Amino acid sequence: MAKYLGLDKLQTFAKIIKQNGGIKGSLYKLYRQDELKLGTLVGEDKYGNKYYENNMYFYGRNRWVEYADYYYLDYDGSQVPAEWFGWLHYKTDLPPHLDPSRPKYPWMADHTENLSGTAKQYVPYSTTRPKIEAWCPPKKK
Amino acid sequence: MAAMKLFNLAKKAPVLLRPAACTAPSFQRRTKYVYVNDKEPSMEWKDITDRAAVAIFWTEIVRGHLVALGHLFKEPATINYPFEKGPLSPRFRGEHALRRYPSGEERCIACKLCEAICPAQAITIEAEERSDGSRRTTRYDIDMTKCIYCGFCQEACPVDAIVEGPNFEFSTETHEELLYNKEKLLSNGDKWESEIASNIHADHLYR
Repeated sequence: MAKYLGLDKLQTFAKIIKQNGGIKGSLYKLYRQDELKLGTLVGEDKYGNKYYENNMYFYGRNRWVEYADYYYLDYDGSQVPAEWFGWLHYKTDLPPHLDPSRPKYPWMADHTENLSGTAKQYVPYSTTRPKIEAWCPPKKK
Repeated sequence: MAAMKLFNLAKKAPVLLRPAACTAPSFQRRTKYVYVNDKEPSMEWKDITDRAAVAIFWTEIVRGHLVALGHLFKEPATINYPFEKGPLSPRFRGEHALRRYPSGEERCIACKLCEAICPAQAITIEAEERSDGSRRTTRYDIDMTKCIYCGFCQEACPVDAIVEGPNFEFSTETHEELLYNKEKLLSNGDKWESEIASNIHADHLYR
């Protein structure tokens, strides 16, 4: 009966507001993410980004990431680390902590976001010595 | 005389042999067609007044607005990009990376097959003997602005050293940041190894 009157929509709306931290929290999330969604927490990476899933939404919208709070409005697509990249892009259904085939080598580096435009950006340099060396004039005595 | 007989037979044969449908006259009225032109509007008094009412009460405009109003409450058909991302294949060819063996030793042996096959000539390799006697590259540059992301380099590589990783979010503000050298490619490999290895694993039955 409630479904025919559309009251379940109101219930879902109340649930969304509750999950996103009340009215104030919901307004903050709406400001930061342009959207309020209801979902189950699948996991969290070591940078504090949280990954959610809800198959009520259609394929392509049913998995999403909420970037860590310290990014504030400087969130970026490249802040998703390699471990969670495949799950978020629907390549695998296994989140990294449940996937036994993912390698963990000691030489694997921490993830960095795209640093272009910051002081830490990559600047190309030669990794070999130059083939032509400048002539250094002998000093006159 | 025999020829005459054959001629007569040919004249009579159609009546005997052809199926009945074909024997119908060719000027038969065709009924299976679709009239594609605009039909004349009906000039009955009822239809004329109906058309006048539609025009006076703007029902088409109102219906159009109702469609727009209905879409306000529908789920959007677009994805909210940095939070939601579209599906990718394990074979996706994105940013390049140089991989390492599980021991941490770099894989590239400077065979230069990738440099040879690169149709855009984006790869530059120089090699030298390392102090322990193994052959390694001293220079491995890829001009990412020349690269056409065809994936020939990773197919040519005999040791799976150069791969096109899954990352596509490496746009830069300047041109020079896209002139990758060996260190940058190796650090890409160190960052993305988890995903690169699982892509190769996902595709291993087809390689």
